[in-house]
Amino acid sequence: MNEQLSDDSQATPVTYEFEFDGQRVRAESGQTVAGALHSAGEHIVSRSFKYHRPRGLLCMSGRCPNCICTVDGTPNVRICTQAAKPGMVVKSQNAWPSVKFDLLRIFDKLHRLMPVGFYYKRMYKPRWMWPVWEKVIRRIAGLGKLDRSHGADGVYDKQNLFTDVAVIGGGLAGLHAALAAADAGVSVTLIDDQPALGGHLRHDPELAESRLNELISRVASHPAINVISSATVFGCYDENYLGIQQGQRMIRLRAAQVIAATGCWERPLVFENNDLPGVMLASAAQRLLHLDKCRFPGEVVIVTDNAQGYRAAKQLRAAGTRIAAIVDVRDNPPESLEGVRRFLGHTVISASGSRHVGGVVIAPLAGHPKQTLSCRWLVQAVGFTPANSLLYQNGCKLRYDESVDQAIVIQHAPAMHSAGAVNGLHDPGNAAADGQRAGKAAAEALCSPCHRVSDPPAENNLEIPRHGGHKEEESPPCHYVAPSGAKKKFVCLCEDVTEKDICDAIDEGYSNIETLKRYSTVSMGPCQGKMCQAAAIAICARHNGQSIAETGVTTARPPEQPLPLGVLAGRAVHFSLVRRTPMHAWHEQHGAKMGDAGNWKRPQVYTSVTQEYEAVRQRAGLIDVSTLGKIELRGRDVVKFLEFIYPNRFANLKVGRVRYGVICDDAGIILDDGTIARLGEDRFFLTTTTGNADAIDSWFRWWLAARPQWDVRLTNVSGSYAAMNLAGPRSREVLKKLTDADLSRDAMPYLAASEIQIAGVPAIVLRIGFVGELGYEIHVPAQFGQHVWEAILEAGREFNIAPFGLEAQRLLRLEKKHFLPGVDTDALSNPLEADLPWIVKLDKEDDFIGKRSLARSLQRGSRNKLVAFQLNEPIVPDLASLVLTNGKLGGRITSIGQSPAAGGTIGLAWIPASLSRNGDTIQIQINGRLVDAVVHDEPFYDPSGEKLKS
Amino acid sequence: MVSQRMWREHELKDQYDVVIIGGGVHGLATAYYLTKLGVKNIAVLEAKYIGFGGSGRNTAIVRSNYRTPEGIAFYDLSVKLYEQLAADLDFNVMFSQHGHLTLAHNERGVTGLTERANTNQLMGVNSRIIFPQEIQQIVPDLNVFGHSRFPIQAALYHPPGGIIRHDAVVWAYARGVDRGGGHVHQKTEVTAIEVQNGQVEAVDTNRGRIKTKMVLNATAGYAGLISRMVGLEIPIETHPLQAAVTEPLKPFLNSVIVSSTLHVYVSQTDRGELVLGAEVDDHASYSLRGTLAFLEGAAIHLLELFPHLANVKILRQWAGLCDMTPDYSPIMGGTPDVKGFYMTVGWGTYGFKAGPASGYLMAELLASGKTPKRLEPFALTRFYDDCLVGEKAAASVSH
Repeated sequence: MNEQLSDDSQATPVTYEFEFDGQRVRAESGQTVAGALHSAGEHIVSRSFKYHRPRGLLCMSGRCPNCICTVDGTPNVRICTQAAKPGMVVKSQNAWPSVKFDLLRIFDKLHRLMPVGFYYKRMYKPRWMWPVWEKVIRRIAGLGKLDRSHGADGVYDKQNLFTDVAVIGGGLAGLHAALAAADAGVSVTLIDDQPALGGHLRHDPELAESRLNELISRVASHPAINVISSATVFGCYDENYLGIQQGQRMIRLRAAQVIAATGCWERPLVFENNDLPGVMLASAAQRLLHLDKCRFPGEVVIVTDNAQGYRAAKQLRAAGTRIAAIVDVRDNPPESLEGVRRFLGHTVISASGSRHVGGVVIAPLAGHPKQTLSCRWLVQAVGFTPANSLLYQNGCKLRYDESVDQAIVIQHAPAMHSAGAVNGLHDPGNAAADGQRAGKAAAEALCSPCHRVSDPPAENNLEIPRHGGHKEEESPPCHYVAPSGAKKKFVCLCEDVTEKDICDAIDEGYSNIETLKRYSTVSMGPCQGKMCQAAAIAICARHNGQSIAETGVTTARPPEQPLPLGVLAGRAVHFSLVRRTPMHAWHEQHGAKMGDAGNWKRPQVYTSVTQEYEAVRQRAGLIDVSTLGKIELRGRDVVKFLEFIYPNRFANLKVGRVRYGVICDDAGIILDDGTIARLGEDRFFLTTTTGNADAIDSWFRWWLAARPQWDVRLTNVSGSYAAMNLAGPRSREVLKKLTDADLSRDAMPYLAASEIQIAGVPAIVLRIGFVGELGYEIHVPAQFGQHVWEAILEAGREFNIAPFGLEAQRLLRLEKKHFLPGVDTDALSNPLEADLPWIVKLDKEDDFIGKRSLARSLQRGSRNKLVAFQLNEPIVPDLASLVLTNGKLGGRITSIGQSPAAGGTIGLAWIPASLSRNGDTIQIQINGRLVDAVVHDEPFYDPSGEKLKS
Repeated sequence: MVSQRMWREHELKDQYDVVIIGGGVHGLATAYYLTKLGVKNIAVLEAKYIGFGGSGRNTAIVRSNYRTPEGIAFYDLSVKLYEQLAADLDFNVMFSQHGHLTLAHNERGVTGLTERANTNQLMGVNSRIIFPQEIQQIVPDLNVFGHSRFPIQAALYHPPGGIIRHDAVVWAYARGVDRGGGHVHQKTEVTAIEVQNGQVEAVDTNRGRIKTKMVLNATAGYAGLISRMVGLEIPIETHPLQAAVTEPLKPFLNSVIVSSTLHVYVSQTDRGELVLGAEVDDHASYSLRGTLAFLEGAAIHLLELFPHLANVKILRQWAGLCDMTPDYSPIMGGTPDVKGFYMTVGWGTYGFKAGPASGYLMAELLASGKTPKRLEPFALTRFYDDCLVGEKAAASVSH
């Protein structure tokens, strides 16, 4: 995300310019866009979602929504983690005419008209009003604009990695965990979302001991540790499968053990006008100070309940800022800062100013008496929200622990550990020790013979220190929500949800935290609750009279940080792969019109359907059928398996024979058809249709998985064989020229399956004829596909052979009344109704898939039937034309063609069984009128099959 | 505007005339229409919170351009009830009927959609085939003429289709039940159903026992588990269905776009978020965890349709459970085996859009004991009698 940020660059700063809303802004190298804007005095960087209030920098860590801008056309970029670059064009969003002066701020004044969920209660009466209102809403809604100048042409890539232990987070705990695991002899991958290791110590120099740099260099130089910097783990999926974004790259990391050392972030206070520019988290001020080299002109008030507030104050003062006061929530804090006025037991009630903080009102926790302090900045250090969403995602169980005021893991998911601040250990010494413990535990879990998979809670014997001490009994349950106040106190900055909105929603009945979220939209915006969830839960708990633990949390869902679609899609130029048969080049060279068949490219037609049709019917034709699915089954129990899978019989299939088969599902519905050849006693070669090749492979494996005791070995050889179909009255003469094998009718009759040499290549040859002619389906190893293809065409030249495409094939098979699964059948078609009753052998002793349903169907009788028909008029209707009976839907056409053999338009249709006798008339709706057609029982071509069997 | 309580919390009574299990759109709609028919001593039991299941996880698409006459008639009733729902329930459910486009990228797809258009028109549903020029006019940002692996050849255009604020529908029905005198019990989990002599007698919950002669199973993904409580095995497999949402963008997409070839569909809410999804996961599971593979696939396919979205960010992903039947159609009605046990289940990926119609007709069935004609094709017995409904082609991916 922020891979461009340099590592605390020590070099002499280079300055350059970029553009913000048309103005030129100077930046120093290493600065973020937000830092440069801060230095330039641009403190309003966005407008809020609903009320269009001015917003300034709050978190400086890419977690809040306040600094979202459009950068070089990309909408919704957090400029606080985006390095400034020369010439960059940054534009504010969601404001008109500008972010400095936004007319839509009027909504802020009209808030009484727009209470929580107002849109559910208005704008729908009378009914025609809603579409009118909706148009207005759709004009105002949304954040960034779609960037039409960018296509999916970015440079993206994907990487797959494996590791023994993945450590997420390069702070103190993560560094120690990585070292401890690596020293124990396992491989470690350390993923950190910052450009440099060190976590929050990078911008809190007092905490960072001198040993930090030594620790970092030990990690960086450790041979067993792979550090991935500037990379965000956005998801922890099943079985420790981590999704990681690093700039334009997505890394998929499979880890045997995962340690989440993800730390925490600061949470903001909820008080009146708490969204004013100038109100900032202490860590944000520290980042600006130390990483962006910014200054804070004017006075600062610090509100705090912990040591961090004092450190921030010290650092700000050292940088030349005057500290107006420290407002400490605690009555007896251990820290102090010489020469600074303090208000103990106080908190901030409200901030004043219209476009920037001008002062703050403070009061004791009870709310009175109030006093006003003048200041330009309000820096808040009032506690932390643990970054625990990856723990939740992976199935860890957490419970809110009042002593540390955060959720703590009570049960880890298998092979997952956590360490450091996410465990409530904020003190550097404790975090380091916890990291070492987790690192050792992860390594031990890997090395122990039984692969202990979880992190027993007892191991964590570190005492969790109470930070602050504000949890004394007299403290109110959630001091970070200020008491009273009539002005807006924002809980959710993304969606402009105030404390009052939440209370109102609960009063209306949305008291469950999940329904509350959906109704008030709290935590549903770009930050996904990072800034607001803690306060929302606290307010919900208070208003319901429940504890925080009882209130629960909303579900943590990936991605942890917003994730660009381009990164997910990766380097996909065509997005879906293209499959080509071994003869593809030949087809293209010979002028074939290619078409898509799933991922395959197939020749549709070479010359014309008429010419190709004639070649097959009168001489010989050759079609590429390499796309067929091909499966080899071997083993003693293959026959048993086939008998179970297919409704027809296979026990009696002799070696050297091939049989047509239909595969049905449990309901007897046709899934696919194909041929089954027995090449040896325990060796079978099956074909499936092109479209179902993968589905049938899965189907077989699915049923085999439950029958491990059966000796059936399945090999998918779809890609290993090229296949072609030689068909036509002269095809035997053609093939004879290429083989020594006996092709005579006696030696290789119809439905023979043999393994012979064709053109010097070993081939499986099946004597079948989908198009209704003497034909040979020839399977040869893929690398010889084009050689055999060319050899056959060469051999057939004297007979005037021609290649033919799918369009001719479709017509040829239609004349034979052969259906195509999925084209002529649908999710209701069983073989009984699809005119294949002979294929269903209900008298097979053992069960087969679909047997019960087919028996039932037979008993019931057919309701619908697949029939062939011939139109009485010389027109070709649309494929999707309907068959009507008495004005109602009676059926539909599935195939259509102009048949030379029938001398007219023929087709296949599903119609009511009552109309399906030979010679019955059906009516087809064509262009709004009904045209008669006659049901035809027999194939239109060669009904007795003489040519096929010749 | 005085805020009024949407629904109240009640003590669990020890007897109800009807107990509805499942506080989603189906259960609540049935309860609501029951109160309108005068059956008021009823309870809706929800184990978590209302809308926890599919009603809160679906992608809120409403349409009636199905394939079979049974399906079309049923969903057409639902669209009409949805159009009236805001007025009927006095709550803006934000039904935005900006049209629904199902894309075809190959000849077979065009044929299937043309057949649906013809059947829709025969049934009086507004639906027609449109071609690239018109598709581009309706959706200017769609990649119709640019480079594409599977160029768009046609679309089934269904102007009354659109999206709705799904949570609002759930809440509004719950309020309707409450105002009508029914009880909505959240965090109330059914642990057993008592059957004596083939008749339902009582329901046990974590909050106590309820005597009742009539139980409706409206539990979607958990339908099989609840039915098993009365010893009934129903032909349902539960599969996860995943979806995701992006950060809000200024609205640019008004219609719902569906592509079966690319296994993706997308719409843009009034808040500006793009909502996207795919087909159900291959394998049966009760897991509510999303997968990375889903996100990657959805992104690849969405970018094929809208290449400009490459730098738009996914905000969250989630999964819901779909109760799939073999014929991709619901099971509605009673069972001859257990008197008093009724179901509106098997709603798969198409349940939310059917909520009002199923609730309306199920209420009629429960109140009168007679099966309305429009429910007849969807009886459980169709699986024993082999009278399946052929909705698979129009229901599977195209939500």
